[in-house]
Amino acid sequence: MTMADDVQQRDAQQSMEAYLGRLRRRLRGMNDEDAREIVEELRSHIRDKAAASGQVTASGVDAALAALGSPEELASQYLTDDLLARAEVSRSPVRILESLFRWASLSVAGFLVLLGSMVGYFLGVVFILVAALKSFHPRTAGVWVLPNGADDFNISVRLGFGSAPLEGREVLGWWIMPIGLAAGCALVMLTTRFAIWCVRQYRKSRALPRG
Amino acid sequence: MKATPARDQETVDKWEVQLRKGCLELAILAALWEGKLYGLEILRQLESDSDLIVSEGTVYPLLSRLKVLGLVKSEWVESEAGHPRKYYALTPAGKKRALEMAGIWTRFSSSMGKLLAPLGKGNK
Repeated sequence: MTMADDVQQRDAQQSMEAYLGRLRRRLRGMNDEDAREIVEELRSHIRDKAAASGQVTASGVDAALAALGSPEELASQYLTDDLLARAEVSRSPVRILESLFRWASLSVAGFLVLLGSMVGYFLGVVFILVAALKSFHPRTAGVWVLPNGADDFNISVRLGFGSAPLEGREVLGWWIMPIGLAAGCALVMLTTRFAIWCVRQYRKSRALPRG
Repeated sequence: MKATPARDQETVDKWEVQLRKGCLELAILAALWEGKLYGLEILRQLESDSDLIVSEGTVYPLLSRLKVLGLVKSEWVESEAGHPRKYYALTPAGKKRALEMAGIWTRFSSSMGKLLAPLGKGNK
C-alpha cells in the first residue's frame, strides 16, 4: 500500500465516522441497544458499498454516504418509523410523547406535532383529574362560569384546590364525574390518533423512491 | 380550474411514487422468501428484480420497523469482508403476512389487467 492509499483510507474512515457520529447523536433517546445496532448496520453497509470495486476509497465512501441522505433525515425516518411500529403495539401516550420529543428535536414538523399533542394530552388529563377530584372537593372542583365585566364571562375548569370563587357558579355539579371522565379519555384517544396520523402523513411525504 | 400539463405530470409522478412505496413492504418480504439476506443484498435484489428503485435511506428504517412488528428477525454474521453483517430473515408471522399480501396483489393485478387490456390495444 502506498502512502497516498494510506491517506485516502484515513480520509474515508474519517468521513464515515463523522457521519455515523452525527447519526448516533440524532438517535439519542432511542433505546441504546437499538441505536447502536443501527449505527453498526450502517457502518457495515457503507463499508460494503464503498468496497464494491475492491478497495475502500474516499470517493466510494462519499458516494455511499450521499446515497443514504443526511444523518438528520435518516434519523428522522428511523424515529418516526420506530414511533409508528411501537404505536401499532402499544398506544400509551407516554410512549408516544417520548418518541415525539425525540422527533421534535430533528424537524419543525415534529415540533409542531409535539406541541399539538401536548396541548391535547394536557386538556385530557385536566378533565380526568377534575372528575377524580370532585369527590374530594365537592364544592369547588368542576366547570365554573365566572363573570368577567358587564356581559362577559369566562369558563374555567377548576381542580378545586383552595377556596371557591366569590362570584360565578359551578355548572355541571356531580355530572362532571362522568362527563369529565368521558371527555378526558376522548381527548387523550383523539390526541393519540392525531399524533399517529401526523406521523403517517409525514412519512408519506418523505422516503421518496429514487429515480 | 383546468390543470396545466405540467401539473398533470406532477400528479402522475406522485401517484407512481405512492404506488411504488405501497409495494415496498411486500417487495422486501418477498426478497427474503428464499432465505436470509443483509441490507445491501436486499437493496440489490429490489433493484435487479423489480423497478422498485428506492433510496437506501428508506429501506434500512423500514427493515427496522418490520423487525419491531415481528415480521422479520435479524442476526449478526461475521463476513469474509472483515466486518459483521446484519442478516434478516422472515419470521412465521412475516411469512404469513407475505403470503396474504401476495394473494391480494395477484388478485388485484389480474383484475386490473383485465380492465386495462383495452388500453393496450388502443396503443398499438
